[in-house]
Amino acid sequence: MKILIIEDEEGLRESIEEYFTEAGNICETAASYTAALAKVELYRYDCILLDITLPGGNGIDILKTLKANNYTDGVLIISAKNSLDDRLQGLDLGADDYLVKPFHLSELKARVSAIIRRKMFNGSNVLNFNELNIDLMAKTVAVNGIPVKFTRKEFALLIYFISNKGKVISKNAIAEHLWGDGIDLANNFDFIYSHIKNIRKKIMEAGGKDYIYAAYGMGYKFADQ
Amino acid sequence: MKLSERYNRVNLIATIVIMLITGAIYYLAISLILTNQKDNSLEVEEHEIFDYVKLNHHLPQVFESKDQQITFISAEPNSVKREFFNTTYYREKDEAESGRGLISSVTVGGRYYKILIVESKVETEDLIQIIFGITIGVILLLLLVLVITNRLILGRLWQPFYGILSELKLFNVTDNREMPMSNTSIDEFNELQAEVSAMAERVKKDYKDLKTFTENASHELLTPIAVINSKLDTLIQTENFSEHQSKLLNDLYSAVSRLSRLNQSLLLLVKIENKLLNDRQHLDLQELIEELLYQLEDIFGDKEITVTSSLSEKEIEASNYLIEILLNNLIINAVRHNRTGGEIIINLTAENLTIKNTGEQIALNPENIFTRFHKASTSEGSGLGLTISKQICESLGYQLVYSYEAPYHIFTVTF
Repeated sequence: MKILIIEDEEGLRESIEEYFTEAGNICETAASYTAALAKVELYRYDCILLDITLPGGNGIDILKTLKANNYTDGVLIISAKNSLDDRLQGLDLGADDYLVKPFHLSELKARVSAIIRRKMFNGSNVLNFNELNIDLMAKTVAVNGIPVKFTRKEFALLIYFISNKGKVISKNAIAEHLWGDGIDLANNFDFIYSHIKNIRKKIMEAGGKDYIYAAYGMGYKFADQ
Repeated sequence: MKLSERYNRVNLIATIVIMLITGAIYYLAISLILTNQKDNSLEVEEHEIFDYVKLNHHLPQVFESKDQQITFISAEPNSVKREFFNTTYYREKDEAESGRGLISSVTVGGRYYKILIVESKVETEDLIQIIFGITIGVILLLLLVLVITNRLILGRLWQPFYGILSELKLFNVTDNREMPMSNTSIDEFNELQAEVSAMAERVKKDYKDLKTFTENASHELLTPIAVINSKLDTLIQTENFSEHQSKLLNDLYSAVSRLSRLNQSLLLLVKIENKLLNDRQHLDLQELIEELLYQLEDIFGDKEITVTSSLSEKEIEASNYLIEILLNNLIINAVRHNRTGGEIIINLTAENLTIKNTGEQIALNPENIFTRFHKASTSEGSGLGLTISKQICESLGYQLVYSYEAPYHIFTVTF
């Protein structure tokens, strides 16, 4: 996968680059409007992470350039501006998704994976991981070809894990992904554990492997070790 | 007391007192003049008697007259002192009238006589009465005219003042509406209006500056928070943490997420106040609540809270984003301030939505629970949740009120 990160804030750009860099991924970065425009005009990417406020110009104009040239790169807008107008304008202009700062890198990864998946599979949208086959349209999971029933949250969590395989995901990130903003009242995320336990159990009962590891009480990691 | 009422009262009392005093002076003056006149006529009569006596050397014959009685009485020499006096005048039989008399004396042929001339004052008094009556009539008419003109003129004169007053009552710092200038030819009101408008502009500008500051500050904070968040996410990818380090990282995560939520809340408040979230969609409230309850199932379970809901169909036109925040805030609030094993009762009807929850067995002060950063010391929230809820309700024209009916804290949204 080839990803372009257009973000002027160095700290954020580096973290994203580090998080996305793994076997099979190529990450490129641009810190300004002109640098971004130069890259976008020369190369094609599977997904472009686009910050709206850039030194030297507006990210929206980069999006317009892409669309004017009929480039089909996936675009995810990352913006500090959580305004409906920006969001609608971005999506109207053909951006695939819109993520508001601050966000968890795992959330970003999940969104980017979803965009790339949609582009690659042209909507057929089946996610395979070893013995797991997940149909994202029908929202069904099969382990070794045997259908396994997951609840909505378990399904969402499983996809989140697979999108971030090999990464430690903090409990906070999981909680925010599943419950949104309402989660701050729960200081202990014990109820996350019950979902994870269920996923583990369901996969293993169908003959799958246990892929979910607890990481030092901070979070969980989905990996094929 | 209204200004015009006050003014009228003072004005009327003063007018009446002055009128009474003038009336009295008027009455006295007229009666003095008329008495004087009577006295003159008495004197004329006296002189006629003297002339007659001087010429004829005997007393004149006295004729019965309608308005005048002259009597001669012989008296001791020099016993009579000349004087005017008020008396009663008897015209035929016993009809008493007020009269004016003159006692004088004359010596005729060595004999001393006391002269008593009495004239009826009836005509004079009639005259006084008529004059006085007319005067009173004029005074009353004057008062009436005064009251009416005062009322009319004052009402009209103060019209611009009441206009400015009603504008002030409608004044709202968050409103962008300009104050309409009403034209008046009165300098004081023009000045007042100009000052009020200028003040309103200043207040609005200050408020706007403050809002812009909040917005900018919150925006500027977003990037560093995003960096901290991403660095933490990166940090936990590096393996091998001790239990102690994990605990520290967890604390950092919660603090950052709280900071970020607080920041989002501030931005949201500014946006609601700026009416930047005005989009309207057709929303099925029942469905939204059911969805939210499903979403929050685990959180209820975690605190062992029993949720009972009775939802009837209710559709509204509102911003989906705002309604979700409103519902989320109210329900999360009911969880946050609940006790373990407590209860939440949600009721949706066509008129209102009530969310009841158990919790501390004491009513909260409804005055300040909706103010910013007001929160219980034990609360982990931002202190902005209810403020935001209230603002959302206001922006949608709903009412949000708090009440307490032991053991439930109740929040009611009236559509």
